[in-house]
Amino acid sequence: MTTDANAISSSSASNPSGGRRADSIFRRFNVGDALLGLICRTSAVVIALMLASLVLVLLSSAMPAIREFGLGFLVSREWRVNELERPLRDAAGQIVMQDGEVVTETIKPAFGALPVIYGTAVSSALALLFAVPLSLGAALFLVRVAPTLRIAGPLSFLIEFLAAIPSLAYGIWGLFVLAPFLQTTVGPAFQNTLQNVPGLRWMFFETVTISGKLVERPIPMTGRDMLCGSLVLAIMILPIVTSVSRDVLKAVPRTQIEGTLALGATWWQSCIAMLRYGRAGLFGAVMLGLARAAGETMAITMVIGNNNQINPSPFAPAQTMASLLANEFAEASEGLHRSSLLYVALVLLAMSLVFNIVARRLVIGTTSPAGH
Amino acid sequence: MSILQRAAWVSAVGVSIVVGGQVASAGEVRLGGAGATFPAPLYTKWVAEYEKVNPSVKIDYRSIGSGGGVKSITDKTVAFGASDAPLNKKEIDAMGGEDKVVQFPAVIGGVVPAYNLPGVKETIKFSGDVLADIFLGKISSWDDPRLQELNSGVNLPKLAITPAFRTDGSGTTHVFTSYLATQSPTFKGEVGAGNQVKWPLGQGGKGNEGVAAVIQQTAGSIGYIEQNYAVANKIAYGSVKNKAGQFILATPDTMSLAGDGAAATLKGTILRADIWDQPGEKTYPISAFTYIILYKDLSNIKTADEAKALVSFLKWATSSGQSLATQMDYAPLSDNVRKAVDAAIASLTHDGKPVQIK
Repeated sequence: MTTDANAISSSSASNPSGGRRADSIFRRFNVGDALLGLICRTSAVVIALMLASLVLVLLSSAMPAIREFGLGFLVSREWRVNELERPLRDAAGQIVMQDGEVVTETIKPAFGALPVIYGTAVSSALALLFAVPLSLGAALFLVRVAPTLRIAGPLSFLIEFLAAIPSLAYGIWGLFVLAPFLQTTVGPAFQNTLQNVPGLRWMFFETVTISGKLVERPIPMTGRDMLCGSLVLAIMILPIVTSVSRDVLKAVPRTQIEGTLALGATWWQSCIAMLRYGRAGLFGAVMLGLARAAGETMAITMVIGNNNQINPSPFAPAQTMASLLANEFAEASEGLHRSSLLYVALVLLAMSLVFNIVARRLVIGTTSPAGH
Repeated sequence: MSILQRAAWVSAVGVSIVVGGQVASAGEVRLGGAGATFPAPLYTKWVAEYEKVNPSVKIDYRSIGSGGGVKSITDKTVAFGASDAPLNKKEIDAMGGEDKVVQFPAVIGGVVPAYNLPGVKETIKFSGDVLADIFLGKISSWDDPRLQELNSGVNLPKLAITPAFRTDGSGTTHVFTSYLATQSPTFKGEVGAGNQVKWPLGQGGKGNEGVAAVIQQTAGSIGYIEQNYAVANKIAYGSVKNKAGQFILATPDTMSLAGDGAAATLKGTILRADIWDQPGEKTYPISAFTYIILYKDLSNIKTADEAKALVSFLKWATSSGQSLATQMDYAPLSDNVRKAVDAAIASLTHDGKPVQIK
């Protein structure tokens, strides 16, 4: 970023000094230049203001929840909108009675974001696990193989076309095609082969707390679960990871590749060297994919099962930050509930911001100076 | 009279005719209502039918959810609000106290346990405590002895139960959880009742359509949805054991009886009654009123004519409009309930004067 800024400032410094004598009058009164300059500056300021006001509005609306829960919000598991009224129990676990009546205690609503942070982290990580190998393979193919076959153009177009499909379409496909397939074929297949493997019981059984007792029960295979959500996310982040990786690999200097070949590397070894050379940029591409996966809303809401729980099984329903907002925001009228949802939105925004900043630094660092 | 004067006279008459015409079209009354989504199809039908009876009245009902309806009427941005849950004390105070508010039931709805059990033709029977234990995770398979005991003669499969629930705040969840809380102390203490609760397990869906999607796609699933939504989408639902020990299937008739049981408790201008688990041989136990909320003095409405139009519409809806309710699979108010509703509507005033209806 600093090199870009230097380049612009140095060129703007050298230009006027050269042209000032020749057509200074014309330049000074060029309305078009002045107007364009004004429009550009205003646009830049407006965009910055928009982001700033977004953060401010989120922060101020989330304030009641921030005051109430503080940072403990991020590690608390409980998300309960309603009040609970239950019999008061003493230290020995006995129900407290007074004048022949059961004494009740009222438990206030509680809001904690750990289940949705977990859901977002795991679904995004699994999506990367599925998407990154595919994307890197496709990018390598586009850079090293496709040009010789003269299909790089159409293939790139197809991959980028995936990015233009609305997320709702992915959601509907996930709900009506992928989920039933997982429910009837993939899930049971895993269940039959792995169920009795020692150490894998957690994949197929869940424990539910009822009246303080832990009850174990099989997880029903529904197809709308963490696995389905991650698969849909993986397909959705494929295009961006592939196209950015392709640009990063294109920027690897020809001399590098020729150098490896000259040293006797096989085609495979030179590909590996290429990936290693562009690793910072490739990591940036992955981070961009991660940012998209973490923020995806419509499609994930349709396929992840929408249960605010932390369950390690990929066959259990889960919830992400974005899907929680999509599910609950419209009907959330209660002050603290709404405010807690906005707190979640703030966390999501902060996370996306960090991913994007890291990714930009890494991608710009590799593609611009080395490319030319 | 000169020609000039005559011309002036004619043009004056012409102008007055034009002005008169404008007055006539301004006689059209536009009123707004907002709130609950559950009765929205019926309210929209009422509005359309009422326009045929009284073409000058145009009512616009927006289904923005019960919470939004209460907020809209409190802020006076609509003529009336609609909510599945009755106003609580705090909400009444926000509107200015008990003597400033009118609330009455408009129609009755029921919540049904809908399920997906391939190969089972019979209607499954449930009881309140069995339903509670299914949603708590205690009963996890369809061939559980307690389900078999209720459904002797039905070949229940060995199939895992997937409970399905609403993820958005809704009156449907309020009714269902309130009923289960009366049936199971464990449910009351661990899940509780409310528009949105924390379910210990299962799959979430947004809206009736979200829950219905889970049920239709998953063999062995059970979820709670509105009775008329289940009927319209041909989703199988079970009968529920009522207070008299009978297994009753939700129909407009059996849900209507639930309202009738509470008629005696409806008094004053703020009518409310929880009508789940009412006595009666044929009463469906998971029923609830959905309410219309107004300011007692309709000063949020500009003219007396508009107030009159609103009151006529409400009277029509709670009398002649009730037969439309039955057609659309809502349960009508019984005669006893309508008496209380009529009294509440009669208490409405505009700028302190009673609203006169011919």
